[in-house]
Amino acid sequence: MNIARNFPLIIILMLFISAFSMPIMKSVRKIKAFGFVTMSISTILAGCNFLYVKTNGKFEYRVGHFDAPWGITFHIGYIEAIMGVLFTIVATLIIWYSFFSIDKEIKENRISLYYLLINILVGSLLGMVFTDDLFNAFVFLEVSTLAGCGIIVIKDKKDNITATFKYLVLSSLGSGLILMGIAFLYPITGHLNMSLIHESIMALKGAHRNILLISVSTFTVGLGVKSAMFPLHVWLPDAHASAPTSSSAILSGLVLKPPVILLMKILYKVFGFEIIGSFAILDVILILGSIGMIVGSIAAILQKEIKRMIAYSSVAQMGYVFFGIGLGNELGLIMAIFHIISHAVTKSTLFLVVGAMIEKTGSKKIKDLKGIGKEMPITLGVFTMGALSMVGIPIFPGFISKWNLALATIETGRYMFVGMILLSSLLNVGYYFPIVINGYFGEENLEGKVYKSKVMPMKRLIPVFILVGLMVMTGVFSLNIIDMIRQGLV
Amino acid sequence: MERLMTNYFETGAMILFGIGFVMLLLHNNLIKKIIGMNIMDTSIFLFFVAKGYIVGKEAPIIRQGHKIIGYVDPIPTALVLTGIVVAVSITAFALSLTIRIYEEYGTIELDEIMKKRGD
Repeated sequence: MNIARNFPLIIILMLFISAFSMPIMKSVRKIKAFGFVTMSISTILAGCNFLYVKTNGKFEYRVGHFDAPWGITFHIGYIEAIMGVLFTIVATLIIWYSFFSIDKEIKENRISLYYLLINILVGSLLGMVFTDDLFNAFVFLEVSTLAGCGIIVIKDKKDNITATFKYLVLSSLGSGLILMGIAFLYPITGHLNMSLIHESIMALKGAHRNILLISVSTFTVGLGVKSAMFPLHVWLPDAHASAPTSSSAILSGLVLKPPVILLMKILYKVFGFEIIGSFAILDVILILGSIGMIVGSIAAILQKEIKRMIAYSSVAQMGYVFFGIGLGNELGLIMAIFHIISHAVTKSTLFLVVGAMIEKTGSKKIKDLKGIGKEMPITLGVFTMGALSMVGIPIFPGFISKWNLALATIETGRYMFVGMILLSSLLNVGYYFPIVINGYFGEENLEGKVYKSKVMPMKRLIPVFILVGLMVMTGVFSLNIIDMIRQGLV
Repeated sequence: MERLMTNYFETGAMILFGIGFVMLLLHNNLIKKIIGMNIMDTSIFLFFVAKGYIVGKEAPIIRQGHKIIGYVDPIPTALVLTGIVVAVSITAFALSLTIRIYEEYGTIELDEIMKKRGD
């Protein structure tokens, strides 16, 4: 079973290599099948790797058998293994769904490029999570940014191009700042490996505090741009709303997450709590996170297009993740990671379902979705479950993370922020429930609608059902997951 | 002040970073934005290389019959090489997007694009 140690590297290599063999295939059917098969194999390998970590504990993997200062190492613990399984399984289901929707959204000769980009994107996201080397993480981050821009612009409409340009400019700003952070950190530590940097920083014993402060703030701002921290989220609604359905699901569900995990690693693993606690950086993250929760929700209420509304909801939900990081205690950090998991499954479900609604009704506007519950009862039912999870109803994972975040806030004694969580949840109700209520109820809404007239074919709904099943499972087995994350934190 | 003068590479890099940053954020012309992005990236590369450079020391290449008394740190140079590749690919992508924007809107001024999108 020792071979399972190689699986993280094999997954990344397989996704990269298989991606570039797609353009030489002629038939669209074969390309789709190939993309699905490679992603399913990655899921199985990630699952085996998770089981290995579960029995044998965390391990360091040396790429090419070079030791840490000279070679790149992967650190595979519980968190990395869980993220590996999560990303591959969500990506597999989204690819499955995209079989039925992608032909209608992009030109046929672009389909091979689309699946190429998705494989590269998921591979680079996994690399960013697994790696223990700062510069390697930076390179993977750049690859994921370019691939992410690619799957937005592939639709080739006016809105897509401007949205992609905005995304590209802002994220190149972010990557510049991240590289600057590495440039400040390297001269005083002499290492790029995260554990070794931490040892060097500890050996400094309080010298070079200003350089450390500059470095940690450039990292925070740079990674904040990539993962839509509150004032830096301006690129997100355009990009996520204009992209094709399956791209929106991947962008919102997966692409936002690895930068946050990298930020957590930089804050807690590279710098360590002693250094971070002596700066005000965690308070800044906490305040920006809580403002993001409120402002994102208010902006979502004001939207007229449903996809933009869900995109703003992503800003609010990423606010919860930053809130958890900013609390600075163990429970907060665990809940930030748990919220990443729950948001990944929930938001990708919501985007897929909404994409189906837009396709059937032919309108992006929220007001045109009235009475949709009679025409597409199952689809709106799935949407309702996702909305319940976002709002935080028990059994669903959204409740678990909000409840525990509130507990973690009380633990730190900052009671005002509990109110922030409550207010944000209420605002969530304010924009998700009108769609559900207007969809199912109201005489004037249902008038003239034919029952099940626009229902989706069953084969298209299966991946969505599996995603919903995963969502409920995340909620039901939340205690086990939280326990594993706690062990993974060291 | 004296510190700024001795580390003139780093000072210059920071000034260039500021210029690039402001150009990237405040200019309306998309090409100028991309130029600003390039200036910013280059300033970071300058900063990184300057951090690894030691005055009077040689490149880390061992030759027969040549005595080496210390050499400059090769890692920042290698990293900058990767960074340049990343910057080049982002620039190429941004320029191709600019071409498409010009085809669609007939202009590369951001305020005019916003006006056209509004109506």
